[in-house]
Amino acid sequence: MPYTTGMDPKGPIPVSLFFTCLADAFSPGVCTATVEVLERFGATVRVPLSQTCCGQPAFNSGNRKEARAMARKFLLSFPDDGFIVTPSGSCAAMVKHGYPVLFRDEPRMLARARAIGERIFELSQFLVDVLGVTDPKSDFSGKVTYHDSCHLRRGLGVIEAPRKLLRAVPGIEFVEMEESDRCCGFGGVFSLKYPQISCKMTERKVERILATGASYVTSGDLGCLLNIGGLISRIGYPVKTIHLAEILAGKTAGKEDAG
Amino acid sequence: MELNANAFGRNARKALLDKTLQEALGRTTGRFQAHRDAAVAALPEFEATRERASRIKGDVLDHLDTYLARFIEEAEKRGTIVHVARDAAQAREIAARIAWEEGITLAVKSKSMASEEVSFNEALQGAGVTVVESDLGEFIIQLAGEAPSHIIAPAVHKTREEISLLFERHLGEPRTDSIPELVGMARKHLRAKFLSAGMGVSGGNFLVADTGSVVLVTNEGNGRMGTVLPRVHLAVVGIEKVIPRMADLPTFLRLLPRSASGQVISSYVSIVTGTRRAGDPEGPERMHLLLLDCGRSAILEGKYREILKCIRCAACLNSCPVYQSVGGHAYGWVYSGPIGAVLTPLLVGLPEAAALPDASTLCGACADVCPVKIPLPDFLLELRSDAREQGLKTPGEIAAMKGYAGVMKRAGLLEAIERIAGVLGQFFTKGKGISGLPYPFSGWTERRDFPAPAAEPFRKQWKIKRGVTR
Amino acid sequence: MNERESLFRRLSAACGERGAAVEEPLPGGAPTAPEGDRVALFAKTFTAAGGVLLRGPVEKALSDLGEMLRSEGVTALFFPEDDAAAREIAEALVPFGPFNLTTGAEVRGGSAAVTAGFRAAEAAIAETGTIVETSAGGKTLLPGLIADVHVSIVPAASVVARMEEALAAFTEDPPRNISFLSGPSKTADIEQTLTVGAHGPKKAIALMVG
Ligand code: SF4
Repeated sequence: MPYTTGMDPKGPIPVSLFFTCLADAFSPGVCTATVEVLERFGATVRVPLSQTCCGQPAFNSGNRKEARAMARKFLLSFPDDGFIVTPSGSCAAMVKHGYPVLFRDEPRMLARARAIGERIFELSQFLVDVLGVTDPKSDFSGKVTYHDSCHLRRGLGVIEAPRKLLRAVPGIEFVEMEESDRCCGFGGVFSLKYPQISCKMTERKVERILATGASYVTSGDLGCLLNIGGLISRIGYPVKTIHLAEILAGKTAGKEDAG
Repeated sequence: MELNANAFGRNARKALLDKTLQEALGRTTGRFQAHRDAAVAALPEFEATRERASRIKGDVLDHLDTYLARFIEEAEKRGTIVHVARDAAQAREIAARIAWEEGITLAVKSKSMASEEVSFNEALQGAGVTVVESDLGEFIIQLAGEAPSHIIAPAVHKTREEISLLFERHLGEPRTDSIPELVGMARKHLRAKFLSAGMGVSGGNFLVADTGSVVLVTNEGNGRMGTVLPRVHLAVVGIEKVIPRMADLPTFLRLLPRSASGQVISSYVSIVTGTRRAGDPEGPERMHLLLLDCGRSAILEGKYREILKCIRCAACLNSCPVYQSVGGHAYGWVYSGPIGAVLTPLLVGLPEAAALPDASTLCGACADVCPVKIPLPDFLLELRSDAREQGLKTPGEIAAMKGYAGVMKRAGLLEAIERIAGVLGQFFTKGKGISGLPYPFSGWTERRDFPAPAAEPFRKQWKIKRGVTR
Repeated sequence: MNERESLFRRLSAACGERGAAVEEPLPGGAPTAPEGDRVALFAKTFTAAGGVLLRGPVEKALSDLGEMLRSEGVTALFFPEDDAAAREIAEALVPFGPFNLTTGAEVRGGSAAVTAGFRAAEAAIAETGTIVETSAGGKTLLPGLIADVHVSIVPAASVVARMEEALAAFTEDPPRNISFLSGPSKTADIEQTLTVGAHGPKKAIALMVG
C-alpha cells in the first residue's frame, strides 16, 4: 500500500532519523546502518540531535506524567515536514498509538502527535511501502531467521515488508522459525518485574530459533534482540543476533567507521 | 473464591517450577490456539461476524438499563423468578434462601464463572446443601479441593494419574490409566446425582432480551441435564450477558466455540426460557435467575466499559505467552490470563490486584484473537496508569522513572551519562555482555547477559562525522 | 428502594444519554448461505461434529443401524409415546438385535441397560451439523439426553441452511427448551484428550428420511 504524502516523487526524500535511545547507547551500529540504507535509496537524512527517548518505558509502566514530558520533548525535537524513520517498530508504534493516549486531554499536542504519527515509519515499512524498494542491494550472506517484534507486527501491522527485503538479498538463505510472531518475553519493565516468566518466554523463543539452524536471528526491534541475545550469549549458543538494518546495510556496514 | 492476586509474582515462580503443570500447559494451550486459528480461517465471514458481535455488545452496554429491563420483563412473563444481587454477600444470601425455600439438599452445578466470583458453593454448603460440580474438569478439581485454572478447561493442570487417584479415594473406583474409563466413572457417578438432585445450578452464556431466555453452551451436556431433569433450575449470571434479540444469537454462537476450542459449534446449546409449560413432560417447575452486579455497574460507568463485552471464550488466555508460562492459578482469582489481568482489578479493586496488569509484555496477541474486539492491552496500560495515580507504585519505581525522565529532558545530559556509562562499561566488560547487575536489573542478569553500553554512542559519532545538523 | 430498583438506578446513571438502542439486528456477519445441497452439507458438518449419518434405502439403513447399536452394546430402545416416526424405526429395529423396548420414564428411573433413544428431530442445521429438538408442544427431550446412543430421525425437508432459519420459528414465544445437538457429548477435560459420552449420548446418529 503506497502512501501518498503530497511530496514530489521525483524530488528529494527528506528523512529525519529517530535513532532511538536504546540503539544510541547500546548499538550505535544499528543507527549507522539505518542511515546507510536510507541514503542508498536516495533519502536525505537529517539527524535531530536534541532527540532523546520517546518515553515508552514510562508509558508502558503507567508512569504517564514522565512519559508525557518525554513525548513533549520528542514532538519538539522533530521538524514539521518530511518523513521520520526509525529502526524500531516499538518506538514508531509508541509515537503513533501511545502519544494520542498521552495527549488525549491536550488538543494542541494531540494534533501535533497525530501529524507526526502520520509521518513516522519503521525502516522496513518505509523502504517497502513508501519507497517501493524490492531489492535492498545488500551483500550480506548467511542463513537468517526472522523474529516478528510484537509492536512491529501487531502494533504497526508490518508483517511482510521485512521478509520481502530479506528474501531479496541474494546471499541470504531465509528460514522461517516456528511461532515467529510469539513474544520473546522482553516487554520492557516486564522483564525486570517478572524476570522468571520473561526468561521462560525467551527460552522458548531461542529454542525455536535454534531449531531453524540459522546462523543469524534478526528483527526490527533492538529490544527483542538484546533480550534474545542476552540469553544466547549467556549459554553460548551458535547463533548471532543482528538488527534488520545491519543486514540491509550489508557486510560493509560501519566499515568506514572502523577505518 | 479467595483472592490472592497480588501474590502473582510468587505464584508464578511456583508455577514455573511445577513440572506437571508445565507439561500440561505445554500440551494444552498451544493446541487450543492451533484449533482456534484453523476454525477461524475456515469461516470467511469471521471478521465481519466479530465486528458485528462487538457492535451488538457495544449497543447493549450503551443501553444496558433498557435491554436488561426488557429481558427481566420477558423472563418473568414466562415464569422465571428474577433476583438481583448487588454484591457477593447478597448473592450468597439469596442463593442460600432459594435453596432453603425450595427445600433443596442436593444441587448439581454446571460451570459458571460468575458463581465462582461470589463463592456460591460455600454459600449453599453453609445452607446445608451438597453441591456437586458436574463439568468433568470442575468435578475433578472439586474432588481435589482446588480452584479452576482455566475458563473452559479448569483441570488442565491435572494428569490422568492424579485424576485416577482422586477417583479411587473419593468414588471408590479402581485405578486406571484409560481416559475413557475415567470419563465413564465420572459419568456414572454424576448421572446418579442428576437424577436425584432437587436443583440444577447453571451459569448462562447469553441472556436473550426479547424472549427472556438463558442460553447455555456446553460440550459435555451437563448444562442440558441440569436444566431438564431437576425440579428447580437456578441460573447465576452477570448482568452484562444480555444480547438484544434471539436473532443475534447465531452471531455469538459462531464466535464462541470457534474462539474457545476451534469447534464450529459446541455439542450442546440449550436455550431455556421460563419454567416447564403445561403439558411438558420434563423441565423445572421453578426457574430462578440470580443476576449479579458485583461491580459491573461501576465498570459500566467508567473507561473500561468495553471489558463487559467479554463472552468468556478464553481465546485470550490461550494466546497469551504469560498465561501459557504460568497457568491460571497464578492470577489468584476466578479469571486468569489477559481477561483476568484486566477484569480482576476492576471487580475486586485495583489495590487488591495491582500486580496483575503488570503481568503482561503488552505483546497484543490477546487483542488479535478476542472475538468481541476488546482492547485488552490498552486496558492493561490504562490500569498501570491508574495504579500510579492511586499511589500503588513503589517509591523506587517512581523515583527511577522521575530520574530517567529528568535525564531524557536534555540530550546533553543524556550524552554525558552515556559517556560515563560507556567508559565504565567498556572498562568492566571489555565490550562483552554484563552478567551481573544490581536490583532492579538483577532479575534480568540471573539467566541473561545485559549488553554493555557502547564506547561511543551514535549521537557522538554523528557529530564527529557529519557535524551538527540541528 | 429494593435491590432491583437500585440496580436500575445505577445502570441508568452509568449508561446516561446515549441515543436510542439499535432497533434491528445489524446487517452482515451471517455466513453466505451454503451453496448447493443442504442435505449434503449437513452430512458433512454433522459428521465433522462426530455424528454418524445414515441415509438411503430403509432396509439397508436399518440393518446398518442395528449393527451399530449392537456394537455399542445397546440392549434397550426407547422413544416418545407420541412420536410415530421414532416408534416406527425403533420397532422395526427389534428383529435386528436382541433389543427390548422400554420407556423414557424407566430409563430415567435408573435402568442398568445400555440404551438407544429415538426421537424425530424438529429441524437440522446444515451450517453447523446440528439437530434441533425442543420441548414445544409437550415433547420429551429424554431420548437425546439420557440415552447412551441417540438416534434422530431427520426428514430431509427439515434441513435448514443456517442457525437463523432454525431459530426463526421461536423468536416470538420460545418453548421452555430449545436444544441444538451437534454430535455426541464430548469432553477434553482430561489431558486434552477428546473423549465421548461425558454426560449425554456417546454416539449421535442421524437417520435421514424422505
Ligand atoms: S476478553 Fe475476549 S478473548 Fe478474552 S475471554 Fe473475553 S471474549 Fe474471549
